Amino acid sequence: MPVSENNNTSQQPLTNLLHTSLSENIFTIKEALGHSNDVIIREIIIDKLDCLSIAIINIDGISDKTVITDFILENLLLEIDNEPENKIDNINDYMKKQCLAVGDVKDLFDFTALFTSILNGETVIVLEGQSVAIATDTKSAKDRAVTEPQTESVIRGPRESFTETLRTNTALIRRKIKSPNLWIKSRVIGEVTQTDVAVMYINGIANDKIVQEVLDRLDQIKIDGILETGYIEDFIQDSKFSIFPMIYNTERPDVIAAELLEGRIAILVDGTPLVLTVPVVFTSFLQAAEDYYQNWIISSLIRLLRFFGISLALIMPSLYVAITTFHQEMLPTPMLISIASQREGVPFPAVVEALIMEIAFEILREAGLRMPRTIGPAVSIVGTLVIGQAAVEAGVVSAVMVIIVALTAICSFLFPSYGLSNTIRVLRFPLMILAAIFGLFGVMFGIMMIILHLCSLRSFGVPYMSPFGPLIVKDQKDAMVLFPRRKLFTRPRLVSQQNNVREQQYYEKRTKH
Amino acid sequence: MSNRKMILLFLILTLILSGCWSKRELNELAIVVALGIDKVDEEYEVSIQVVAPSEISSRQPSSGRAPVVTYHAKGKSVFEAIRRMTTITPRKPYFSHLQIVVIGEELAEEGLNEPLDFIARDHEFRNDFDLVVSHKAPAKDVLNVLTPIEKMPANKLLNSIKVSEKSWGSTLSVNTDELLNTLSSKEKSAVLSAVEIHGDLQLGIDQTNVERIKTPVILKYAGIAIFKEDKLVGLLSEDDSIYFNYLNNKVKSTVEVLACPKGGELSTEITSSSSKIKGTFKNGTPQITIKIDVTQNIGEVNCAINLTQNNTIQQIDQKTAEKIKEHTEKTLAIIQKNYKLDLLGFSEALHRSDPKKWEKIHKEWSTIYPTVPVTIDVQVTTQGLGTIQNSLLYNSKE
Repeated sequence: MPVSENNNTSQQPLTNLLHTSLSENIFTIKEALGHSNDVIIREIIIDKLDCLSIAIINIDGISDKTVITDFILENLLLEIDNEPENKIDNINDYMKKQCLAVGDVKDLFDFTALFTSILNGETVIVLEGQSVAIATDTKSAKDRAVTEPQTESVIRGPRESFTETLRTNTALIRRKIKSPNLWIKSRVIGEVTQTDVAVMYINGIANDKIVQEVLDRLDQIKIDGILETGYIEDFIQDSKFSIFPMIYNTERPDVIAAELLEGRIAILVDGTPLVLTVPVVFTSFLQAAEDYYQNWIISSLIRLLRFFGISLALIMPSLYVAITTFHQEMLPTPMLISIASQREGVPFPAVVEALIMEIAFEILREAGLRMPRTIGPAVSIVGTLVIGQAAVEAGVVSAVMVIIVALTAICSFLFPSYGLSNTIRVLRFPLMILAAIFGLFGVMFGIMMIILHLCSLRSFGVPYMSPFGPLIVKDQKDAMVLFPRRKLFTRPRLVSQQNNVREQQYYEKRTKH
Repeated sequence: MSNRKMILLFLILTLILSGCWSKRELNELAIVVALGIDKVDEEYEVSIQVVAPSEISSRQPSSGRAPVVTYHAKGKSVFEAIRRMTTITPRKPYFSHLQIVVIGEELAEEGLNEPLDFIARDHEFRNDFDLVVSHKAPAKDVLNVLTPIEKMPANKLLNSIKVSEKSWGSTLSVNTDELLNTLSSKEKSAVLSAVEIHGDLQLGIDQTNVERIKTPVILKYAGIAIFKEDKLVGLLSEDDSIYFNYLNNKVKSTVEVLACPKGGELSTEITSSSSKIKGTFKNGTPQITIKIDVTQNIGEVNCAINLTQNNTIQQIDQKTAEKIKEHTEKTLAIIQKNYKLDLLGFSEALHRSDPKKWEKIHKEWSTIYPTVPVTIDVQVTTQGLGTIQNSLLYNSKE
């Protein structure tokens, strides 16, 4: 092979068909992979088959070494001890049918397929004199074990969470839904990373139009790499400029199973334990898996608490600012005097005080998140002492402000979904500024703007605020409160439009009357 | 610049330029808890009692300074005096948390209408604070008395009215709204509680007033001050005030002391009382019936009496009824015959019963009123004896 063509191999080798010469093939492969040292090319000669030279190519680390030695190398070198009785017409067929003791075997004709195979952890056998290579399934990703969920823990409920391996994740879902109607459509996204993306849904429950829409949107993604579901989320979400999470993500297989049963569609990406579901509504972010596992009365009360908590987390600091600087008449006199006595000598206006404390808390929180786990306690001690106590004693901030910041912070941890809590965190600040400029009027204005924005959002055609706006009375059973399970005989009306009935017997009982 | 950008710019400008308009930080406010208005030499003298928050707060140890400070200023109008006050107050007086307004006795005799106008008109005033009249002292002095337990004298003034209205019945809590309503109707006349100072005034100003176990200077509610329209005309004694409240349906709980048949005394606790005033016309002459329903418990027995017998209880009921009837008649005579004031709304009762006949006598009402015959009917029921039955006196006699 002339040198001039070697240069071309880096340009356009992948469209090329395999050569018949083994050495040429090996050379092309080496050149294309840049002589990377994790590419193992084992050349052997099989005496029994007329001194046939073959090369076994795999990438160290992503293919299973035991499988290669025990079922490929051993078979080829040792098992073929006697001359084949019949004349071998097709060496490929013979190899596949009699020599290779691995599960999945397929033929490769060009370099594109060959590289895909190798890079996916398969082992490719290239034979001298053949322009067809054999790929054997020896994939072995370094799997993390299925562990307890890190971010969405429950007291009562399954203790497993997704891992970074797509197959494990789909298996976890399959184990929960043993239905032939659980369908997977897969896509490979990322021109460089070639990441596997799977779209899972229950055929017959999920809305076909939404499934098609999801697939269409996935197909339109043009990107070099997908490393996390966040990439996909950003590409396929409806409203690019909304601060509210437009796609739900979770690391719990049971949540995904429940979402699938409601007619939603799950999007799994290889390499991340977070799975997306669409379409999503606002209330999803305030509903925890555990709600469904415990008594409905308790769940209902806890949900109401969450709705109360989200309001507190959003408006507490701005209410404080508005009331203490504009509407002092709204406080009961003893409380006013108590707050006023704490404000004596505080050098800043209430809004500056609030901003200082809120920003300080955000810094603390972010620091706690990114820092090595062993230093964690140190930061929280410094945080509580410095911000909580010293600031008050030094008279920089008032004690009420510390209480408000602390309460706000605790409320923002009340949400089952981290995404929404981040949104609330951010929205707190504009509301505080509005409160400082216009008082309660500004706060109300801000809240109305937020509600208007929420009502304008749609996720894959489903209104974000449903079942509140538009009001769907039937779906209120599983929104702010949770009805007993036997009353939840229908699926969310707008999500699964074609198959709404969940529990036939209860539904019939109801509709007879 | 495109139109859209211009609009956006203006929107942002309004946000920035309006910049916290009417913003008041808490530490820029002088929280006024009590307001006193007097009239001195044809001028209003306004006194305000301002809280020093750090002295009231329980968090910080008291520095020994007074928890409240009073300021006084004079002016041709109440408004003027209040604004002039800013020359002596460190911060702008803030009236939304006003607890009580004390009207000086002299000013009250001249009339409430003028000073009340500002209070009713100004937006910063709420209308849920109480009004009282000072008795035998200017309002200024009432505000200058430090009180123990309640660090804010305004709170003590307010609480005392409410507590004694609830369990003794000699005071009447009247807020601005109620007062303005009464003053705006022609037939009705106002009533307010009257507060007086007991002790040496000079001591009241001093912090030592609250440092002793027995407070040398105290503020006490003397009774109910009665007004002819908006002018103070007199003060009912404490007893008369209670019976006035019986008539006025304002007694929530009080105590009646009765004489026992065989000497000694028996006190009952009135637990509820309701009165209904009914007007009728008999041959064109107006008549009033007041029906008072009282329930009581036996409160204290200082005589030998067998309470376990049914007829004893009936006797006690009857005696209480007689006593209440006798005293209410006496009190009614004072306001009807002496002051000739329709404080109980007889005119309204008559008007309601027969508007046509009322129309006929309406013009001569002021001359008819003192002669209107009034029947008072008292019904008493005893509910409980308390946690013991017969008195120890009775048991030892057995």
